[in-house]
Amino acid sequence: MFQLLLIIFVLFPGENKIEIKDAWLRPSSQNMATALYFTIENKGTTADTLFKVDSDIAGKVEIHETYSQGDMMGMRKVDFIVVDGKSSFDFKPGSYHIMVMKLKKDINEGDEEKFVLHFKQAGEISITAVAKNPK
Amino acid sequence: MNMKKIIFTTLSVIILFSLSCKENLPLDKDLTKKNYSLINQDSTEVIFPENIVGCITVLGFIYTNCPDICPMTTHNMYLTEKKLKEDGIGNVKFVAISFDPDRDSPEVLTKFAEIRDLDFSSWTLLTGSKNTINDLMKRFDVKAIKTDENIDEDGKPEYSMMHTDRISLIDANGILRKNYKGSTLNIEELITDIKTLED
Repeated sequence: MFQLLLIIFVLFPGENKIEIKDAWLRPSSQNMATALYFTIENKGTTADTLFKVDSDIAGKVEIHETYSQGDMMGMRKVDFIVVDGKSSFDFKPGSYHIMVMKLKKDINEGDEEKFVLHFKQAGEISITAVAKNPK
Repeated sequence: MNMKKIIFTTLSVIILFSLSCKENLPLDKDLTKKNYSLINQDSTEVIFPENIVGCITVLGFIYTNCPDICPMTTHNMYLTEKKLKEDGIGNVKFVAISFDPDRDSPEVLTKFAEIRDLDFSSWTLLTGSKNTINDLMKRFDVKAIKTDENIDEDGKPEYSMMHTDRISLIDANGILRKNYKGSTLNIEELITDIKTLED
């Protein structure tokens, strides 16, 4: 039995199939909102789903999508994001983003803030995002 | 070259130059025909556009609770100013008008500007009464509609806004000369247009 488990462990090491890269957020002030951006890389062969994001710095965090209608821009809540196996998904300005609302403190350029991403398969993944403005 | 040829060539150059300017700066809307009483980040009254006439102005429409588009628009204006200063052009004014006057008080606008390192010697953030802001938006053909309206657990209104994504270029005479998409602004295009107005 032990040998069987060892073989399984060697063949399928418990590596993280989901990797979060380039996490950043925009500076903003207390009580206001900001956006968190990052890239999800799914290195596994099966899809995984991001369905919730938490943070101690915000009263409310939601997955959002920016959309356009003519020359107007709007935002709407998205319940979840599916990332197919062997693919990546970008949260980026003007597109999908994590809306971080009711900030409990000011976020200044250079600050590092923690978030927890909840995936259906990978479970909870903690990340640190740096506050910056694109150059 | 005889005198007729010289005059013809000179006139042709002037006409071609004017046509080229007209093409790059397609609008010619005199904003000075109507003034609006607004409030800046210091709670001081600003008569718009009367108080901005005399300088080239880059104008953006924003609301400060916006997490994505409006910060992009504001940041594009900030980068435009930075680049202009690098090019030795420091006399351009930057104005951001909020279309969410219910929430964007002068205090909120001040905080929004400070956290983004906006220089109040060249930047003015404006709010005003709902009626005045609505009237002003119509003048600029800017629309903003509340979406996802809710009341939060503290009893405060909570909403997003669907809005026109707009930066405008106003010349020193208070004439609206061109509109741009704010969040995806081509900064080089705006700078070229500002330089054309300066010449």
